[in-house]
Amino acid sequence: MERHERARVAVIGAGIVSPLGFGLAETAEALRQGHDCVTEVTQFCVEQCRCKTAGQIRDETLRVATTTRLQRSERLHRAARMVICALEQVLTQAPQFQPQLTVVGTTSGGMTFGEQYYRSLRRADESRHTPTWIANYLPQKPIVDAQAALGISAPCQVIANACASGTNAVGHAFECIRSGRYERILTGGYDALSELVFVGFDSLQASTPEKCRPFDATRTGMVLGEGAALLALENFDAARSRGATILAEITGYGISTDNHHLTQPHPSGIGPRQAMERALASADLEANEIDYINAHGTATPFNDAAEGKAIAELFSNVPVSSTKGMMGHSLGAAGAIEAVISMLALQHQFLPPNINFGTGDPELPLNIVANQPRKATIRAVLSNSFGFGGTNASVIMQKAA
Amino acid sequence: MNLAIRGMSWVTPLGHEIADVWTKLLESEEADAATVSSPISPHSYFAFRVPETAPTHPRLRRSSAISRFAVAAGMAALRDAGLDSEDTARTALIFATSNGGVIYTKRFYHEIVESGAQAASPLLFPETVFNAPASHLAAILGVTGASYTLVGDGAVGILAVQMAADIMRNESIDHCLVVAAEEIDWLLCDAYRKWRLLRAAPSTEPFQKPARGMILSEGAGALVISREGRIILDRIGPGGNFAKRQCAAGLLRDVYAELEAKDASILVASANGTFIDAAEEEAILQKIPKSLVYTAKPALGEGVAAGAIWQVIAASQALLSGQIPPVLGAPRDSALQIPHTRTEIDPSKHAIVSTCGLNQQIAGLSLSKRL
Repeated sequence: MERHERARVAVIGAGIVSPLGFGLAETAEALRQGHDCVTEVTQFCVEQCRCKTAGQIRDETLRVATTTRLQRSERLHRAARMVICALEQVLTQAPQFQPQLTVVGTTSGGMTFGEQYYRSLRRADESRHTPTWIANYLPQKPIVDAQAALGISAPCQVIANACASGTNAVGHAFECIRSGRYERILTGGYDALSELVFVGFDSLQASTPEKCRPFDATRTGMVLGEGAALLALENFDAARSRGATILAEITGYGISTDNHHLTQPHPSGIGPRQAMERALASADLEANEIDYINAHGTATPFNDAAEGKAIAELFSNVPVSSTKGMMGHSLGAAGAIEAVISMLALQHQFLPPNINFGTGDPELPLNIVANQPRKATIRAVLSNSFGFGGTNASVIMQKAA
Repeated sequence: MNLAIRGMSWVTPLGHEIADVWTKLLESEEADAATVSSPISPHSYFAFRVPETAPTHPRLRRSSAISRFAVAAGMAALRDAGLDSEDTARTALIFATSNGGVIYTKRFYHEIVESGAQAASPLLFPETVFNAPASHLAAILGVTGASYTLVGDGAVGILAVQMAADIMRNESIDHCLVVAAEEIDWLLCDAYRKWRLLRAAPSTEPFQKPARGMILSEGAGALVISREGRIILDRIGPGGNFAKRQCAAGLLRDVYAELEAKDASILVASANGTFIDAAEEEAILQKIPKSLVYTAKPALGEGVAAGAIWQVIAASQALLSGQIPPVLGAPRDSALQIPHTRTEIDPSKHAIVSTCGLNQQIAGLSLSKRL
């Protein structure tokens, strides 16, 4: 059997659009401040929902944040606008970056166009926008449009592994470069709020009418969010030899599937545990070499119990925070956004806070970065994402050496 | 690449046994189109439906059609590959779809629109998620490692094979089960009609000018990618995305060049009666004008993600049987080498699979028979 050298994988550019802000600097500052960006939902009616809040991105802010002419096109979905904005940031840092492949995650792409189409159908109203909605609601469209807007034509593998999609995308992209098959890959994730998805989580009573309080003993659920994040990955040696600025190194990826339930993790935490163990093995690291865990931490009772149990069993007192209390859970974008947050933690040597934390869960003996950021020496970060269908993913990033 | 197709299966409107459906295609049979009516508009549509006699796993009687098709095809492909539950520990799963679980998604959203958010069903919502079919399949097969759901247009099936090839670089993975599936609903037909891609009634006429549209279909296709198998996966051309329809032919030409297609004996096209046909025709005439060109879409319909895997299976069957079926409804005066009767091919040469999606994605691959 053919054996392959394991290439190292560098992050040479990163773009982020989230309720916390646009770009690395704004995001890092918001993380240090522990901003709570969760607000009343304004994009659709939530009168009948238990939960009425989400982390949202203002359309006007999005419009002025980018320079691409296409950004003002009526046919573009909000998710595409977010991806364009993130991709512009990447290309500002890595202007010559031409990926051979793009691997991104999403859960619903341009779903709100599908909703508008269905509502117009119910009203028997043949809107002039109908063909546009239909042609642009498909989940791959935002990345295809963003690439076209900025002169990239790489084939797109669009992963829809529910809430783990973004981390799966980053992890798969990492493995593709590590195997030596590719030199440059664009990776990340995106999702925009939609009524269907919002009501769906509300119907499951997974979202909360209260504050999102990850790992708190009194946690009552998640709030949704939206955003996009992209990372330009390159073979480490190639990037270094041409003098590129290396923001971080991705060193490990683990994926697992627990077949317990379509919407709930196995209470033993076996799925998250396997994903984290496989990521550690992939990175050739011991658990005690991880300095910070950016947890999936949705604040649902089941998720945090399973994830917290797995972390407590595998790691000894490692600092843990979920950043979803600040910006909500952006589903397919979350893993990519949190990969960028992990990278910022490495770059700036601080632990982002787990806000809204009041009382520790006695069942979960974790070192939570409660409410305030901490300065720390961070060499390796592990970031988790888990999703419907029992899909679990973890990536490890390290300071570039 | 050192990869091969070790097992394959399909669930189509024309049947679900590989040999049976292939024989029907060789004998010029086409699936019966069913009428799909909209409850809220005066329109009705034609589509190719999977017969109710198709196999259903007992755990999935209440699941969506797309999950049932995916599981039936996936399990049959594993059987065809001679794999059992002990092999799944070293098997990755990739599920590909374009439209996903449209029936449950529509039902779920319909309740919200008609009765408000309080009427939303927590039982339906998880089935609206794109990776629900993959979750069912992983649970039934006992897959505990890598499981990915890929979304895209008609090229996504080939992108899934490409992803399988990427994953198989990892030596801890012995096999990759690639499954693609779609289900039909009136809502989907309405959408494609308004997108001006749907034909009012059968039969589909590939490569006719002007293009009069396609007929949608449903079902699933599955491939087991391994390091050994009857059909060698020579090359994959993951292509890219065309910004405008008039750019599709150029990208297809690049894919054919990447696949070194000029020596191919056949090309299994994605031509379906839409703008795709002209793009493929232009690229074929420029790059591989002597190749025989086949499309199964007049017989099976446009199965979108599943359709791409059906193309791979058709190309494989052509290599294994040394024959290619007639292309139904194609023009007699085409500049392309289109077989109008069952035709012998040279099975020692390559077969090309060309996929041009309706939503800007293009990909292809080349296959050969292990001699």
